[in-house]
Amino acid sequence: MTKNFATKVFSIGFWLIVSAIFLLTLPLFLQASWVSLINEMLIMALAGTALNLMLGYGGMVSFGPAGLYAVGAYTTAILLTRYGLPFPLAVLAAPLAAAAVGLIVGWFCVRRSAVYFALLTLAFAQIIWTVIFEWYDFTGGDNGIVSIPIPELLYSITHVYYFSLAVVTVCLFLLWKIVHSPFGTTLQAIRENPMRAEFIAVHVRRYQLAVFVLSSFFLGVAGSLFCVFAGSVFPDYAHWVKSTDMLVVCLLGGIYHFAGPIVGSGVYILISKIISKNTTYWMFFLGIIVVILVLYMRNGLVGFAAEKLAQMKNRSEVKKNKDVP
Amino acid sequence: MIFETQKLTKSFGGLTAVDEVSLGIQKGELVSIIGPNGAGKTTLFNLLTGHLLPDNGKVIFQGRDVTRLPPYAISRMGIGRSFQRLNIFPRLTTFENVQVAVFSAQRKCHRLFSRAQNMAQEETETILESVGLLDKKKLKGGLLAHGDQKRLEIGIALAVHPSLLLLDEPTQGMSPRETGQTTELIQKLVKQRGLTLIFVEHDMSVVFGISDHIKVMHQGRMIFSGKPEEVKNNDEVQRIYLGEKKP
Repeated sequence: MTKNFATKVFSIGFWLIVSAIFLLTLPLFLQASWVSLINEMLIMALAGTALNLMLGYGGMVSFGPAGLYAVGAYTTAILLTRYGLPFPLAVLAAPLAAAAVGLIVGWFCVRRSAVYFALLTLAFAQIIWTVIFEWYDFTGGDNGIVSIPIPELLYSITHVYYFSLAVVTVCLFLLWKIVHSPFGTTLQAIRENPMRAEFIAVHVRRYQLAVFVLSSFFLGVAGSLFCVFAGSVFPDYAHWVKSTDMLVVCLLGGIYHFAGPIVGSGVYILISKIISKNTTYWMFFLGIIVVILVLYMRNGLVGFAAEKLAQMKNRSEVKKNKDVP
Repeated sequence: MIFETQKLTKSFGGLTAVDEVSLGIQKGELVSIIGPNGAGKTTLFNLLTGHLLPDNGKVIFQGRDVTRLPPYAISRMGIGRSFQRLNIFPRLTTFENVQVAVFSAQRKCHRLFSRAQNMAQEETETILESVGLLDKKKLKGGLLAHGDQKRLEIGIALAVHPSLLLLDEPTQGMSPRETGQTTELIQKLVKQRGLTLIFVEHDMSVVFGISDHIKVMHQGRMIFSGKPEEVKNNDEVQRIYLGEKKP
């Protein structure tokens, strides 16, 4: 028993160390284009995990994460270009702005559940998109905001990459803590059975609003990171297509596992780059991927792998027990 | 009196599901509510716990009017409940099912950065032991057998330290053996924890076996209330309810 536990911890720790070494050293041996691709994966992993706090743990299907992501990106962009705020402040303000918008949007959304909740989130994301798209004087409209004054230190992709890596690591650690806290358990209880949760004296709506705000906060961080990485922002960031990307990332990796969106992000961005290099019909393949996922891999890649591992472990245990006379 | 209702009424369209029901429950009593299907028993429960708002009337718990309070607030005041249709958290482990209720009772649900795994272990395990599920604590709630899930539900309800417990058909779908065990369990828990219990039940052996008082509902009305032997000897009750079961 204890031995099993030790090997499990060892293997998780082992993989963490391996990936840490890989992530820390990869700019030394990979081309810049790859580093920037992995940077995108990191940011998407954070956005996906932030969305999954609601989706997988809270059971709240949101079609509007991109709206809050864009609030984060535009906050940093606008504070840097229009107000010339110092860089750290402009970055720190992004999650706060996203959380504030999340509080307002969420306040309305959690009044409804299931499909109505989903539609409300979509509607609010479209409102945010429209505001960004139409308000030329402030957001640059469909021209977006370009040549954002990012500090010189972050001009090189390697430096941006390390910046993203540090921020994403801290945020993922915080999200991991949240998921494994009493708040996380409560959230899952609400997902499983809101009525029952209500009658163990949990104020369900308040918790749903709290997770909406938390999710918005981290989506804001992701948006801000992307703004720093790209040096420009566009209304596309708030578009529902971006929200769909995030949802697919979660589904692809598996919504019931913390690592789901992280793995999902890596795989999704990788295949989207490979496919879009060879064909313009990327969306066609995206459709096929979604169909396969929903029909055959409801628990995503990580869920699928976890199932197989559990089966293998069971089999070897049965075998072990048989060997003992 | 720990709990009472005054002329509680609820209609759905033209149907009066609960019709001017007034009842009073003393502390420590074991009260059952019986009546044919559609008599309004579950609707009455939903009115008591804030899941439905009454058209008229009042619900008073420990001297406070709780009629229009939302469910979580009523639960917080010390009313626990199980539901007729299974109501657990299927993807959480048996342990977590109870643990989350313990968190709620200890007002720890909002803690964002503590590690849940090792919190509230002792209390959670005590409750699991008292409902006989300690050895299954690592299984997912949804994978338990039906009878075990019913007991788990009682465990969840107990974890919030209720002084009044409402059980909606606690032995529904159980084998006679499981029914016997669950009945014993309920009696034991009520005694140990000094609970007041109201339960809806169709199994007459359970009803007459453990109730101090039996209340009979028919077409939304509370038509009779009395001790088990009085109910047995009442002609009207015999006719509309118990009579149906006689060959």
